[in-house]
Amino acid sequence: MRFKNKVRWALLLSLVLLVTMVVGCGNKQDSEEVIKLGFLGAKTGDVANYGIPGEKGMKMAIDELNAQGGILGKKVEGIYEDNKGDSKEINLIAQKYITRDKVVAMVGDPCTGLTKVAADIAQKNQVVIFSAGATGAGVVEIGNYVFRNTMLDTVAVPVVVDWMLKDKHWKKAAIITSIDNGYSTALTPIFKEELKKQGATIVLEDTIKDKETDFSAQITKLKGANADVLVFTGYYTEAALIMKEAQKQGLNISLIGGDGLYGQDLAKLGGDAVEEKVILYCGFSTDQPSPETAKFLENYRKKYNEEPDMFSAQYYDAVMILAQAMEATGSSDPKVFKDELAKVKNYPGVSGQTSFRADREPIKSPVFLLTIKDGAFALVDKIPVKTE
Amino acid sequence: MFLEQLLNGITLGSTYALIALGYTMVYGIIQLINFAHGEVYMIGAFVGLFLVAMGANIFLALLGAMLFCMLLGMTIERVAYRPLRGKSSRLSALISAIGVSIFLSTLMALLAQTNTRSYPEVISNRTFNLGSLELSVLQISILAVAAILMIGLQLMIQHTRLGKAMRASSQDLDASYLMGINVNRIISATFAIGSALAAAGGVMVGVYYHAVWPYMGMMAGLKAFAAAILGGIGSIPGAMVGGITLGVLEIMGVAYISPSYKDAIAFGILIIVLLIRPQGLFGKKIVKKV
Repeated sequence: MRFKNKVRWALLLSLVLLVTMVVGCGNKQDSEEVIKLGFLGAKTGDVANYGIPGEKGMKMAIDELNAQGGILGKKVEGIYEDNKGDSKEINLIAQKYITRDKVVAMVGDPCTGLTKVAADIAQKNQVVIFSAGATGAGVVEIGNYVFRNTMLDTVAVPVVVDWMLKDKHWKKAAIITSIDNGYSTALTPIFKEELKKQGATIVLEDTIKDKETDFSAQITKLKGANADVLVFTGYYTEAALIMKEAQKQGLNISLIGGDGLYGQDLAKLGGDAVEEKVILYCGFSTDQPSPETAKFLENYRKKYNEEPDMFSAQYYDAVMILAQAMEATGSSDPKVFKDELAKVKNYPGVSGQTSFRADREPIKSPVFLLTIKDGAFALVDKIPVKTE
Repeated sequence: MFLEQLLNGITLGSTYALIALGYTMVYGIIQLINFAHGEVYMIGAFVGLFLVAMGANIFLALLGAMLFCMLLGMTIERVAYRPLRGKSSRLSALISAIGVSIFLSTLMALLAQTNTRSYPEVISNRTFNLGSLELSVLQISILAVAAILMIGLQLMIQHTRLGKAMRASSQDLDASYLMGINVNRIISATFAIGSALAAAGGVMVGVYYHAVWPYMGMMAGLKAFAAAILGGIGSIPGAMVGGITLGVLEIMGVAYISPSYKDAIAFGILIIVLLIRPQGLFGKKIVKKV
């Protein structure tokens, strides 16, 4: 009996192996017929607020491309793994996309640190990576396969500071940095330099840490500093809690920051403490849309029954720009179409116009200033950026 | 400004104190550092949030969270600690505690996802001036609830039969058993009371700082544990004073030195106190009898 069982097991096992081999071969043939794109982003965890809409935007772009016959007559296939906002996970996922799935390009990640991890791998393997959100320094410097489609802080901050001084007459600024947040520690010096350059005074510099919840001491200090505006360079969770604390202590001040504040949780956590008080700059708004954006909005609402945000728009544009470069060169080989990608000028995307400078850094126009109104993001101002 | 910072510190400290009480009470009786205690606090915050979202009054939500965590604390003790008691070393119970802690925080992350949630405004934010001091209704409510709970606990320990039995058990578990005290029931009650206080702390932090998430128990537990040691572990007044001291030290560190060193300052002072008084501020010196 026992022996018979063993034979049966062995037979079953070899059958399974055989089937997987056949299926495996089938997959390989498929990969020449389809063009694969890998999604980089978090679907769970702290930065899932960036990744989830990104995935939706990317899926929509791929569906639209396929409805029009794909790229170069080939079907486009997206692969969507969840990197949980973790640098170890994104490392494994990028390797998997390149070696197993044989993607021609990866779209994402929305975070700078994670993008760098994946970009190192992409550059080594000569696969294009197109981040839809990384704003920090040292990303495209990794190599000529690395691109990003997002509003850079070094491009936006001068425009924003100009607006703060000329439109709002906020001359005295306090700055709070989240010292264990790479995005924040990189953005603070850009703001400081620009504020000084344009003649504002910095009356208080303070720090917090991500995931802390008690900001009472910082706000009490801020109350004594007599600032016109608070510049906060961190993420939306802490921004909401800072404003809650300010409200609690009876301090009426506006908070201004970058697109790290762009998360739906800002309004959910902040409630009326952030209403028309928090102002952030970013590359996307659903108010006063361009014709391209209007069409995107309509389709997105129809498909998902919700509002798109900056990340869905930037992922969407990234896929479309990749498709355009592949069509123009007639090749889906990253070695070929990457050069065409670098030449994109004034691409009329749904997240504003995109151009690449000689150093492959994107210039996006216009800069949108948003605030929270009735629990949702609303446009304050729309400032065009000069492209060289 | 100094007075306001002091008040900020006392408010923060009173939440540490509520959690520290649970550590110190359990340690006092069975010499176990209950590392799952921070997670009980976290679950208390979530239960409160759930009840408030269902439309319950905040005080009802507070009671509900305390009741739920009472049962949770007793269950943890029954499932994870009692089977090990007496049969294996104290170290096994400690490892079991760490296991429960990881289990509870991951379970909550699965159930509620990991993003931060916020309590709606349940107590008015209205502020008023008392001399140069600016007070809010919220701050006063938090301090009042903490004070009522701590005074209640002190009265219970000093003046009830249960309190007497608890004090006896903490002096000598075996002797209390021989005197006819149902020691298992006393331990169970200790876990229940400690957990209820932690739950109250969780709800208060949720209402006051507006932030609730599945891993919040980790750091808060660590801070409260430090507060319990600072006050002298096993001593109930020690946990109260230790918690408030730690809160004030932290806030003063942020206000006058640097926020970057917030935790370093608090824990640095903890080390200094322990070097000078190893038994903590209120701890009794243990004389080893030969």
